[in-house]
Amino acid sequence: MSTVRTAAERGRPSFETPGARKPDTVKIVSFLLLLATTFTMLLPLFFMVSTSLKSSREMLKFPPTFIPETWSFGNYLEIFDTLQFGTLYKNSLIVAAMSVLGTLISSALVAYGFARYRGRGNNIWFMLLLSTMMLPYPAIMVPQFILFSKLQWIDTFLPLIVPAFFGSAYNIFLLRQFFLTLPDDLFDAGRMDGCSELRIWYKIALPLSGPALATVAIFAFIYSWNDLLTPVLYLSSSEHFTLPIGMSSLTSSRFRIPPWHLLMVASVLAMVPIVTLFAVAQKQFVEGIVLTGIKS
Amino acid sequence: MNIRRRRKGIVGMILILVAAMALSGCAGGKSAADTAPGGGETDSGGGGQVTITHYTIDSPDRTFIEQLVPEFEKQHPNIKVKVEKAPYEQFDSKLQTLIAGGNSPDVTSHYGYGGFAEYYNKGMLLDLTDLMKEDGFDAATYSIPKELMEIYKVNEQTYGIPVNIYVTLMMYNKDMFDAAGLPYPPSDYEDKSWTFDKMVEYAKQMTVVSDDIAKTQYGVDFAWSERDMKPLYFGAEPYSKDTWTNGGVPSETYFDSPEVIAAYNKLFDLIFKEKVSPTSEWSKSVAGQNGDPFVAGKIGMTVGGSWILAGSNDFPFKVGVAAVPWGGNDKVRSNLFVDPLMILKDSKHPKEAFEWIKYLLTDEIQEKSIELSGGNPPVNTKAAEAYYKHFEGIEPEDVKKVIEGSTKYGFESYNHLVVHYSQINDMFINEMQPIETGHKTVEEVMPVIQKKVTEILNR
Repeated sequence: MSTVRTAAERGRPSFETPGARKPDTVKIVSFLLLLATTFTMLLPLFFMVSTSLKSSREMLKFPPTFIPETWSFGNYLEIFDTLQFGTLYKNSLIVAAMSVLGTLISSALVAYGFARYRGRGNNIWFMLLLSTMMLPYPAIMVPQFILFSKLQWIDTFLPLIVPAFFGSAYNIFLLRQFFLTLPDDLFDAGRMDGCSELRIWYKIALPLSGPALATVAIFAFIYSWNDLLTPVLYLSSSEHFTLPIGMSSLTSSRFRIPPWHLLMVASVLAMVPIVTLFAVAQKQFVEGIVLTGIKS
Repeated sequence: MNIRRRRKGIVGMILILVAAMALSGCAGGKSAADTAPGGGETDSGGGGQVTITHYTIDSPDRTFIEQLVPEFEKQHPNIKVKVEKAPYEQFDSKLQTLIAGGNSPDVTSHYGYGGFAEYYNKGMLLDLTDLMKEDGFDAATYSIPKELMEIYKVNEQTYGIPVNIYVTLMMYNKDMFDAAGLPYPPSDYEDKSWTFDKMVEYAKQMTVVSDDIAKTQYGVDFAWSERDMKPLYFGAEPYSKDTWTNGGVPSETYFDSPEVIAAYNKLFDLIFKEKVSPTSEWSKSVAGQNGDPFVAGKIGMTVGGSWILAGSNDFPFKVGVAAVPWGGNDKVRSNLFVDPLMILKDSKHPKEAFEWIKYLLTDEIQEKSIELSGGNPPVNTKAAEAYYKHFEGIEPEDVKKVIEGSTKYGFESYNHLVVHYSQINDMFINEMQPIETGHKTVEEVMPVIQKKVTEILNR
C-alpha cells in the first residue's frame, strides 16, 4: 500500500503537491463535519431506542441516563398486552397497503389521461383538480362524515381506503409531470403494433415510471400510516383502531404520567415498515432509471 | 383478441377494487350497521332494546368504564351501552363531527379542551331538571355533597351531575424536607399558621441554585390553577360575579385592576425575586414539554391538581400531601375540578342514558371505579373513604383532610365555567410567555390581556 502511494507521489510533478493536499484537507474536514452531523441526527433515534429499553422508574430520572441501567426487553412484550399492539399494527398495515394500491391505480390512470390526451377544457379540469389541494381537511370533515355515515361505513376501514381509489391531486400532479417526460415515440410504436390504450398505460407507461410510482407509493404509505384524525373520526371500536390512535392513547390522560418507554417501543416498531419501504423503493429508483433509457 | 384483453384488464381492476372493499369491510367481522356510534336503532335483536353511547377519552383512566358495562346490561336488559373513544387532542373535533353528522353520543363529559360553559353555550346539553324530577333523583342517595350539585346549574336548571372530583393540593418531597431539617407542612386547612409566607420561607431553605443542572433544586412550584384563575388565590377576582350564574358569560373582566396585577406580581416574585421557584425553561429542560420537575425529584413542594397522586407510587422518593397555604383569601384556597356526566341534547334515549349515569354514581360502582381507573377520585363521599387509602406511602388521614378541606375552601376551576375558554387559555399562554421568561413586566402585559379577553368574549 505504502509503496503504491510513494510511487504515485514520485510520479507527480512537485509543483502540484500543495494543490493536491488542499482537496485532502477539505475532504477530511467535510468528512468530519458529515460525521458530526450524522451523529447529531442519529442521537434522537438512539435515545428513542434506549428509552424503549428503560424501566418505568428509570424513565423519570434526571439527568436522564443514555444507556439503560437495566435492560427491560420485556417492554417489547408488554406493549402487546397493554395496547393490543398486534391488532393495531395489522389494521394500520391493511389500511396503508390498500391506500397505496388505490392511490397508485387511480392517480396513475388520471395522471396518464392528463398527460397524454388533449380534450376540451383540459387545463381547466386540471386546475380544478389542483385547487382541491387548497381545501383543508377540516373544511370537508363534516360533509364527508355525513356522506359516509349515510352509506353506513362508520367503524369500517372503507372511509379510510375508498377515497384513495379516487385519486389525490398532489400525486396526480406528480405523475402527470413524469408522464409528460416520456417520449411520444414509445407510445406511437405501441399504437402501431395494435396495443390498446389501457394496455399502453400498464405495459409501457407504468413500467417506465418506476421511480415516480415508488415516490407516490411512499407518500401514500406514510400519509396513511401517520394519519390520525381520519381514523379517529371514523373508527369507534377498539378492534378497528389503527396504530396512531393507539399510540396517542398512551399520552391521552391528563392525569397520569405517560408511559414514555412503551411509547418509544411503539415508535421503534412503527418505524419498521417505513424503513423497509424506503429500502425496497430505493432499489426501484435505481432500476427505474436504468430501464428508462431510450435513444433519440 | 385486443378487445378481450382490454376487457380482461378492466375486469381485473374491478376485481381489485371489490377485493379491497371486501377485505377492509370484513376485517373486524362486524357490519357497519350494528356498530354505528350513537345510532341507537339496534333493535334488530330483543324487542325495544336501545343502545346508548358513552363518549370518553381513550386512556385507561377513562375507558375502564367498559368493564362496568356487563353488570349494568345484566341489570337493565333493555339497554346496551357502547363506549366510544377518542384521543385527548381530537376529543372535541370528533364530538362536534359526530353531532353534526347526526350520530350524537348520549353521555359524555367535558374531557377535551372545551369546558362545560363552552358546551352549554353551544346548546349541546340537555336540561336534566325534568328528568331528575320525574325520576325522583336525590343527590343524597349517592352521597354527593350538595354544593357540588350547584356547580353545573344555570338559572336553577341542572345540566350535569358530578361523577369525579379532583382538587388542588400541595404535594411535598419528604426526602428534601428531611435533608433541610424542616417539619412537614400540615394537612389541616384550619391550621392558621400555614401561610403563603411560611411556604416561601420553607422553600428558601430547600432551594439550591448551582451551575450544575443536576444539583439545582427549587423549594416550591406554585401552579395552583390555570393562568387566569391565579389572582383568586390572593382574593382578587378577574371575572364579574354574574359569570358563575349565567352560564359563563362575564359581563365585565378586571384583568388590569391593581389587585389582579399585585396578585400576579406576588406569584412571579417567587421566580424572579425570591428565586425559590423554577423558570419555565428550567422546568422544561428537566422534565420535558409537559412534564413535571417535581416528579424528577427537583422540587420541594408542588401546588397543583390532585391527579399527581395517581403516579405517586412510582416516584423515586417519599412524598406527603398538605393543605394549600392561606394566601389572603378566606373563602378560596383550592380549585375544584369536578367532572360532570352530561346528556347531549341530540341524545335519542335520554331516559336510558340517565339510568346509566345513576348506575355510575352508586356507592358500589364509585368504589369499584377507584381501583379500575387507577385512582380516580369519586364524588360519592362514602366511596371516597376507599380513595383516601389508595396511595401507598401516603397517610390516608392526610389525604382525607386535604380533600375535605379543599372541597370546603374550593372554587370550581374557571376552565369549566367560562365560555370560549380554550381561546382565552391559548391567549394567556402566549401573552404571559414574555413575563415567564423575564422580558416583560406584569404591568405591561395585563392591559393587553384585558383587551384581548374582552375581544374573545365579544365574539
